[in-house]
Amino acid sequence: MSAAIEVRGLRKDYRAGLGGREVKALSGIDLAVQPGELFGLLGPNGAGKTTTVKILLGLTHATAGSASLLGKPVGDPESRRRVGYLPEGHRFPGYLTARQTLSIFGRMSGVPSRTLAPRIKDLLSRVKLSDWVDVKVKRFSKGMTQRLGLAAALVHDPEVLLLDEPTDGVDPVGRREIRDLLKAEAAKGRAILLNSHLLSEIELTCDRVAVLRSGRVAAMGTIEELTKRNEEKSSSNGYRFVASPLSEELIADFRALGAGAERVNGHVRLTARNVAHLNQLVDATRARGALLTELTPEKSTLEDVFVDLVRAADPASADPSSPSKKSEDD
Amino acid sequence: MRALAANIEEVFREAAARWTLIAYFALSSLFILLFAVAVNLDVVNGALAGAKIFGQSVHMGRQSVDLDRLVLGFESGFAGFLYVVGTFLAIFATAHLVPRLMEKGTVDLYLSRPVGRVPLLLSRYVGGLLLSASNVVYLLGAMWLLVIWKTRLVHPRFFLAAGIILFGIAALMAFAFLIGTLTSSTAVSIMATFAVFFLSAILANHDRIAAALSAEWAAALVQGLYWVFPKTAQLGAAVVALVMGDEGPRRMRDALTLQPFVTTGLFGAVSLTLACLRFRRKDF
Repeated sequence: MSAAIEVRGLRKDYRAGLGGREVKALSGIDLAVQPGELFGLLGPNGAGKTTTVKILLGLTHATAGSASLLGKPVGDPESRRRVGYLPEGHRFPGYLTARQTLSIFGRMSGVPSRTLAPRIKDLLSRVKLSDWVDVKVKRFSKGMTQRLGLAAALVHDPEVLLLDEPTDGVDPVGRREIRDLLKAEAAKGRAILLNSHLLSEIELTCDRVAVLRSGRVAAMGTIEELTKRNEEKSSSNGYRFVASPLSEELIADFRALGAGAERVNGHVRLTARNVAHLNQLVDATRARGALLTELTPEKSTLEDVFVDLVRAADPASADPSSPSKKSEDD
Repeated sequence: MRALAANIEEVFREAAARWTLIAYFALSSLFILLFAVAVNLDVVNGALAGAKIFGQSVHMGRQSVDLDRLVLGFESGFAGFLYVVGTFLAIFATAHLVPRLMEKGTVDLYLSRPVGRVPLLLSRYVGGLLLSASNVVYLLGAMWLLVIWKTRLVHPRFFLAAGIILFGIAALMAFAFLIGTLTSSTAVSIMATFAVFFLSAILANHDRIAAALSAEWAAALVQGLYWVFPKTAQLGAAVVALVMGDEGPRRMRDALTLQPFVTTGLFGAVSLTLACLRFRRKDF
């Protein structure tokens, strides 16, 4: 199966200002998104996420490398025929109504007028804007504009969706609706590239992610693969521990047994060496006459993976409580 | 084609949403209405025997006035007036088309569609030109029909003057598009285009200006600029000369040569080509 989105050795250099220093926005990116896949693109500010998307859409020209959409090179406007795009901070003309917006952008994507009318009605219903069909866009809230943007990205029934912060400004209920909509679109076989700062959104939505750092792919894989890799790298086994009563004496016992114990908002973050050591801590709890009510292994999240990757590249941004940083400060 | 038509429609919808254009149409309509209601002519055997403006009789003496000459004089004056005002309003109403397209958050929406950058820019140019044409044709056409109704005199050249007016607008709008692609600023586009309009009018006297300059390079610069810039003054004179026909003074008829049209057309074509090249290569 050929990739819906394919990027090979993509590089982008530009000069910051007239005669300014050369900036390497992308330093050789390789990635591929298959049909039906929800792919997340992550990275700190300036990592090259937006540049990658802009090159895919022909908004910016690559310095080197290649990029294609559905097998067509991105320099060919026809490559965008079956691509829907939702840019970050988009500004639809305020004087158009929702219907007019979808009609104009639908026709610009080559959709015949006769098929547009029913599609517009259906799309506005799917993004919960049925009651705002003939209202001018300038009256829309940020969340409504975002929903309209999503409808505009889908108006020509694209096979590839490139979405930049699709849930920006949308309330939690709306976010869930957008997530469900994206999953439904991926289930239809559409390839979706999601660019977002909201790691929890990516974690809940995407099948695979790539983390960009300084214009390179720092990590790529399924969320499970990435978080597991992160857990393996971490030497300590953390647990969320709750007992009744959770006394200071019990915490002192844990420390005396060589465990890490830190009280955090009504629970204890416990670090044990291994399972045997953990059981020793449970015995100590019972010996104190306390009842164990919760013991949950702490899982590495996408946020942990992201933060670790970013810090690995920039030691200066590392945790100030870390020993190396402390000694420097001292 | 469907995509380009949609883009042109968007230009018209935007124009309809802008007060400047509504004001232009309203003022034009008011002018036409005033002319229709206020001017009453008493035509006897093809000559003007009497006239009433706002119900008041105009003293004509004992002799009647040659109506044909009078109407031609009005039409040529009005066409010349409309050449200046129409051009200014057209630039004012369309100079934003490129800067607004290039705004962050907007350009992405257009360029992400399967339309090439050059066709996209050209469709906005065509949209702007159609918009300007609709204004000029509305005002000139309505006045032409009113004159026919009031005097029974048909001077097709008056209506055809719209062609020269639009030719001048097309060249200047191309320059406004070029400045728009270079600066992304509506204000700079308008100012630069108006500056070219006035400078070109001054350069109509290039021979006299060059003769008055002591430095040879300065004289050469003036002559060079004259040939590079559009011939706005000559086009204005050509509008009047076209309407007047054989009735106009010889000096006016001499203005109807090919040179101003060729050089102005070249100026517009080069400006539009440069605008397309810049827009095609630009990173957003």
